Amino acid sequence: MKAKHQRLVLALVALAAIIGAGLLAASALKDEAAYFYAPADVKTKGVEPGRAIRLGGMVVKGSLRRAADGVTIRFNVTDGKATVPATFSGIAPDLFKEGSGVVAEGAFDRQGIFVATNLLAKHDERYMPRELEGMQYNEATHEMKVEK
Amino acid sequence: MHRFANPARFLKIARPLTGWLFWPGLALILAGAACGLLLTPADYLQGDTVRILYIHVPAAWLGMGGWAGIAVAALMQLVWRHPLAGVAGRAIAAPGALFTAICLATGSIWGRPTWGTWWEWDGRMTSMLVLLFLYLGYIALANASARDGQAGVSSVTAIFALVGAVNIPIINRSVVWWNSLHQGPSITLRGSSIEGSLLWPLAPTLLGFSLWFGAIVLMRMRAILAQNKVEARMQRLARG
Amino acid sequence: MNQWAFVIAAYGVTAAATLVLSVLSWRAMRGAERAAERLSDRA
Repeated sequence: MKAKHQRLVLALVALAAIIGAGLLAASALKDEAAYFYAPADVKTKGVEPGRAIRLGGMVVKGSLRRAADGVTIRFNVTDGKATVPATFSGIAPDLFKEGSGVVAEGAFDRQGIFVATNLLAKHDERYMPRELEGMQYNEATHEMKVEK
Repeated sequence: MHRFANPARFLKIARPLTGWLFWPGLALILAGAACGLLLTPADYLQGDTVRILYIHVPAAWLGMGGWAGIAVAALMQLVWRHPLAGVAGRAIAAPGALFTAICLATGSIWGRPTWGTWWEWDGRMTSMLVLLFLYLGYIALANASARDGQAGVSSVTAIFALVGAVNIPIINRSVVWWNSLHQGPSITLRGSSIEGSLLWPLAPTLLGFSLWFGAIVLMRMRAILAQNKVEARMQRLARG
Repeated sequence: MNQWAFVIAAYGVTAAATLVLSVLSWRAMRGAERAAERLSDRA
């Protein structure tokens, strides 16, 4: 084998090993590196009351209620598999609305209601002009259809 | 590739190519940015802040593509001992780092009105910040090589570039592997979930920034080669 | 705050960086190549 080939093989083997190790480490981090818990994770893993976590999902359509004090809101968060009630007092971001994504920082209380101390709006990967609002997006085919 | 091992032959091609990449690249950037700012409709949720997309995505592409280029150059240096590979790696590093920083800055500026936060430690943002630190480490190592009188970079620097390459697929997959605040990929092999009327200015800005980046890298390579020629001559004169 | 303020800030940062990098790279290249030419003229 020529020296050049030896170096090539050595470099490629080393590169494969490094990338393999890196990707393994990264995927092992899967849960640790998760930025938030989805409602289904909360149900399956169980999160004890009072532990500070982030809860992420969709705000259920028609679930948003404003309390009498005017600053407290109640809403349900879902990921399609499980739904969790949540409450928040304060100013929600402009993009926070029913049917769109949210990441809430806070903790569960004893009744299993998520008390958020901070709300972030989570934007999804869909981008479309205002005229197309009301169209339905098909996750599988990436197509827009008029909602009926 | 070894046809270009001779710097004189490389320069014969690089000299005219610099302008041919630079001006069309700049024109495409300006045209794409103007279209993205003036012609496209606002997004149904984000409103006008969606326009940041047309520069944020090319910046991310240059930051990640730049490191991929450095890693390929490092491989060519270690395996084939290509004399220009280290020069190319050094030339890419600073612009790549700059556009990684711009990607983080424009993302942060977009995040404030969209998410309600300038910065969160989610998978995508953290791995992109790691890329910026990798660039800074590479630049420090490359500068040390330059002080040792090399036109290219040392083997240690090249190995560092290869090890750092592991971060590129991690950045790409971060939004898929981990629950992240950053949205998932909009443009996949199956199609685009960005509506066509919002998407098209991204094509000229992506192409324009790529061409322009190529021109910047050629300029910086030419500068390094010329400097090196001067330094080599000075040393010969000093030795008498 | 107005959304356009964010858009203008993002484009401003990018435009400034693009411009500065173009000018610096160009000047560094021209300076170095002129120095190299002067050297070969003398030789």
